[in-house]
Amino acid sequence: MSLLDDPKAAFADLSRPERWVLGVSVAFVLFLLVAMLTGALGPTYFLFLVGLAGMYALLSFGLNAQWGFTGLINFSVAAFFGIGAYGTALMTASGSPIAGGFSPLVGLAVALVVALALALLIGIPTLRLRADYLAIASLGLAEVVRLIVLNERWLTNGSAGLRGIPGFFDGWPVLSTFPEAMPGLRLVVIPGSPVILETAFWQAALNVLLVLAFAGAAYFVLRRAHRSPWGRVLRTIRSDEDLARALGKNTYSFKMQSFVLGSLIMALAGVFYAHLNLYVGPGDLDPITTFYAWVAVILGGSGSNRGALFGGIVIVTIREGTRFLNDVALPIDPAPLRLLLIGVVIVAVMRYRPQGVLPPQRELIWPSAVDGGGTPETPDSGVRERKGGDDDE
Amino acid sequence: MTVLGYLANGLVFSSIIVLGSIGLSLVYSIADFANFAHGDTMTIGAYSALVTFGAVGGLGGAVLGLPYGFFVALVVGIAVAAVVAVATEKLIYEPLDVDSIGLLITSIGIAFIYRAVIQIRFGSDFTRFDVRPLRPIEALVPYGVRITLHDVAIFGSAVALVVGLHVLLQYTDLGRKMRAMADNPDLARVSGIRTKRVKLWTWVIGAGLAGAGGVFLGLFNQLAPRMGFNLLLVIFAAVILGGIGSVYGAMAGGFLIGMINQLTPFFSNVVEALPIRPNWLATVIENMITIEYANAIAFVIMVVVLLVRPNGIAGEAAT
Repeated sequence: MSLLDDPKAAFADLSRPERWVLGVSVAFVLFLLVAMLTGALGPTYFLFLVGLAGMYALLSFGLNAQWGFTGLINFSVAAFFGIGAYGTALMTASGSPIAGGFSPLVGLAVALVVALALALLIGIPTLRLRADYLAIASLGLAEVVRLIVLNERWLTNGSAGLRGIPGFFDGWPVLSTFPEAMPGLRLVVIPGSPVILETAFWQAALNVLLVLAFAGAAYFVLRRAHRSPWGRVLRTIRSDEDLARALGKNTYSFKMQSFVLGSLIMALAGVFYAHLNLYVGPGDLDPITTFYAWVAVILGGSGSNRGALFGGIVIVTIREGTRFLNDVALPIDPAPLRLLLIGVVIVAVMRYRPQGVLPPQRELIWPSAVDGGGTPETPDSGVRERKGGDDDE
Repeated sequence: MTVLGYLANGLVFSSIIVLGSIGLSLVYSIADFANFAHGDTMTIGAYSALVTFGAVGGLGGAVLGLPYGFFVALVVGIAVAAVVAVATEKLIYEPLDVDSIGLLITSIGIAFIYRAVIQIRFGSDFTRFDVRPLRPIEALVPYGVRITLHDVAIFGSAVALVVGLHVLLQYTDLGRKMRAMADNPDLARVSGIRTKRVKLWTWVIGAGLAGAGGVFLGLFNQLAPRMGFNLLLVIFAAVILGGIGSVYGAMAGGFLIGMINQLTPFFSNVVEALPIRPNWLATVIENMITIEYANAIAFVIMVVVLLVRPNGIAGEAAT
């Protein structure tokens, strides 16, 4: 059933929403390509957008490991994202008040360790709480983290933020000088509007490579974990925690594991962001980042990694599309417009498609266990309705 | 400032928190979800009052340093907040087919929509009500209390609203129905209470009080599109401290959280004076109990209460 062997059958195998998403995505990619070739969209900026989409997809993967797999309502995504970004920035940036100047690989390691510590710190008290209390408590603790980053100037430079972060490949053999070494290219596809590829383009290409590596690794780890016995326990916890406990599972420990796994992936997104943006500030811990990730996950379909990928792309479209709209057509401040769109998307999804656009399918079985074609009937109402998770504990 | 001064400030700030937390707690118990749009309902009240006050002007006389027009604006702010909340319930929440977590997530979307609309209309900058700022009341200054007549007005109005709510809950038919519904919605329904109607009234009362809180918050500090959202977690802390679903608990919780919030500088003086050992611990505590962390302290209290006493200080007490 591979796409390459028999594209027609593979297409017929898709469910209706999958076809829709595929169609819209293809149209969107074509649109971007045309925009790029005609010069309306700079190729460097295009790659920056791809990197950003990858980053949001990574954040959504992390949240998916918590909310989608286990049903943990984590509203502290921004805290882990910010801690990841600050962790690497404090180690590598020239403007870092404590260390600085280390290799980005050290930064990556430190960011992950700090995120792990924070995950335990937030998880130990809150994961025993009821779902809605967990939401409130994690949002509150994320604010505490933000306030600490904002106010402890000796540690984080306070509201000034950290400047002078090197690129991720700084100090690597070959890759650190790759952008400079590559020749500037000038492609003329449409006469009169050449596409020029320069150092900045190659730099952006490297960043895209990095985020693809991160996201790819996260995707495969999550997919494997999701199908493993471990993942099955998590899904059981999501639909009925008491049942999981009755089966002798230490649900608290499983929840903690999935919380830590998700948090590390979010921190990875933060690390990438720090080396993409080359500046981090306390504004990056704003709760809006949390809700970007949430929109991506519930739009894509809770528990579905493909959906998270799709959601990440939609988020970047909203984020950068409003900016573009402001520059080109309507002089409306992009910030509230973005907020409005995010709000409308949340409400619309919850109203018309609470299971998301691409809900996970066949999630209880290995794909090889399904013999031949034939997608099983998609249930109209997902597990979410039936879980009745409002009074567990 | 003296202890008395901090206490007086705390009393004023508490009034605002109490107005917010009662509504949040009512909606939490009767509509059965954590309404993240509650803070932005406060913002709506504040901005409606701003517009109304700009339109009607002072209307001649003044009470407690506030022109009559301001009270008209206050009533309009309350009304608009209530109408918007009821419309949202009718158009959005009621047709939804999701559990309480779904409603919670939806309310975040609603919060963003409210805030975005206000920000598009008014910009993201701070504004103020067009009332002349007052000097602190002279008679109280020797005691270290620096509050203005406006603060007295905030406190007085809040007390009036809270007493009104108490009377409504305890002595009217609607109040009894609301308490019954908070206690056991199914039982309330089979005993013939029109639960949908009661729910609507809950929204009216909760959002109306939030609107009043928003207007007072605008008078106490200033107005900004983020004002309500920024206060939301503090209000949640108050509701949880008081015990979710308990209106009197919410009042107590709001009072305590407001007080702790405004007394933080005083606590930091106390901590500096205390002989805490070892020294590093003293440094850590002194660093943590500062005005910058006033909100963080409330959030930490909230998490501790959730862990230790999830029913809040009021315990199992009914609404």
